Amino acid sequence: MLPSLHLNSTLNCTTLNYSSTLLPLRGSRRRTRRDVANESLVPAAHPARRYPSLSASLAPAREEEERKEGALLPPPLRPETLPRHVAVIMDGNSRWAKARGLPSSAGHEAGYRTLKKMVELSCQWGIRALTVFAFSSENWTRPKVGSGFASPYLEVAANVCLVLYREGIRVCIIGDSSELSQSLQKLAKEVVDKTKNNTQIDLIVAISYSGRKEITQACQNIARKVKDGLLEPEDITESHIEEELETNCIPEFPNPDLLIRTSGELRLSNFLLWQSAYTELFFTNTYWPDFGEAEYVEALTSFQNRQRRFGQRIN
Amino acid sequence: MRAEFRVAAPIRRTSLSACRSLLRTLFRNPSFVIIYSAIISDGFGWRYHLGLDPPSTEIPVPRDFEVDTGFLLVFAASDGQSHAYGLDKLNSLAVVVDSEEAKNTTKIKQLLCWLSSIGIKYIILYDMQGVLKQTIGIDLESLTNTSMTPCSVIDAKTASSLFHFGKMAIEIISLSDGKEGVAKAASFLYSEHMKDDSEICHRSEPDFTESDVANALKATGSAGDEPDLLLVYGPARCHLGFPAWRLRYTEIVHMGRLRSMNFAAILYVCQVIR
Repeated sequence: MLPSLHLNSTLNCTTLNYSSTLLPLRGSRRRTRRDVANESLVPAAHPARRYPSLSASLAPAREEEERKEGALLPPPLRPETLPRHVAVIMDGNSRWAKARGLPSSAGHEAGYRTLKKMVELSCQWGIRALTVFAFSSENWTRPKVGSGFASPYLEVAANVCLVLYREGIRVCIIGDSSELSQSLQKLAKEVVDKTKNNTQIDLIVAISYSGRKEITQACQNIARKVKDGLLEPEDITESHIEEELETNCIPEFPNPDLLIRTSGELRLSNFLLWQSAYTELFFTNTYWPDFGEAEYVEALTSFQNRQRRFGQRIN
Repeated sequence: MRAEFRVAAPIRRTSLSACRSLLRTLFRNPSFVIIYSAIISDGFGWRYHLGLDPPSTEIPVPRDFEVDTGFLLVFAASDGQSHAYGLDKLNSLAVVVDSEEAKNTTKIKQLLCWLSSIGIKYIILYDMQGVLKQTIGIDLESLTNTSMTPCSVIDAKTASSLFHFGKMAIEIISLSDGKEGVAKAASFLYSEHMKDDSEICHRSEPDFTESDVANALKATGSAGDEPDLLLVYGPARCHLGFPAWRLRYTEIVHMGRLRSMNFAAILYVCQVIR
């Protein structure tokens, strides 16, 4: 079996078996010894990571507190090189359930437990922001199974937020909430209001979200500013676009450092298209309900081993 | 059955006839796998395409394109009637290269040759700082004897470069076509809105749709196809600001360092993703 594309091993001559048959690589599968061996062939880049200059906005005392929490980190992880903002495309709930002969709702329930665990681990390890892709605007076009297909799924997402707000998590919701039912919109607003003063971790939940729509909305907001005389049209730059994006609800870390997608797909699927320019991408075959601590550690370790330049030269 | 093998060895001109002789022998043997094509490059920079189809894809390469090692690469396909690589559905492919590594023009040209050999019809080359525009773009311009063909640009200096090379098109873009392109589109959208708005005495609020943004990107020269596959060469596993508008459903694969690239890996990725 050829090594999986989805396990983030670098493709080179030594990782390919020329006599093997090419096989499609979809679906969840366990890592084999070959996969582990292949991953070890990836040259370990310089562990130091360069940040863009965001440090001015960070309180030193808060950083010190965060670093003390690094004492709880599993051994491969180093607190000084952890990502500050992690984004996740939680893919594979339905396939996970189907593989077990269960209804889709069981997959979403299992996915909720995984999300809860991931938020707990992120808090524990000092990750400051987590953005999760709960529901895409394109998901509305999926064939509905029974009436109100989206509602139970989104209610699970909302209930996650309600449970987690007690644990110091500040919740932001991005996306087009007008597509949601009135009760869900009310629930979402309630969650955001109740958690706005929490400081443990920022959790952005993308519901009915589209990256293109977000950029369009940003262009619209900028046009309004120009019309109101706050900005000249010839002065519009990419910074102005960035200021209008919904992820600026976390002004300190609006762009994710690491993006994880589960279930074997290798696409962004219209998620954080603008914000992910320098985001380390990690694709894994594991379905979201099976994405546990070990898998999270693997993703974070992969991030730590990368050399990120943010478009700059490294001297 | 599908199998592929590779022999890497220096090949001199006199050995080319030996390779052809070998292939003719294999063609005549019905119990053997069907050979679709062989790609031979020699140290002189010329590329020969031997196969069942007429060698219409023989592509002359400028003499200053140096291949360090000639190699014989033979692919065996189980179905000789259809396209051997089965990549008919892979219409466009993007390559993101770290700007430091993009300075290795030999590797970039080699990559283009490989992609053309497997039948990719539309290739988008991207690096953040525009190194590829200044190197490969100029070489392709002289090779194809075409000037830069920007698409309805306002600022020609930052226009993307689009070259037609036989049946293949190569587009070369940079950050100015990505995030900066969206900023220009936003300015264009406002201007257009004000033109329409002046008729109703500036009363309406801007209300843009995704189509409006797409049209604005086209008008400002930052539009283009959404690639089916994006290969990333460089130390970081990210797309380095590739135009966000064109990345919705693109499959993204990190290939490692450009200096370590190899044809089999590219073909493998293309065949899995198709």
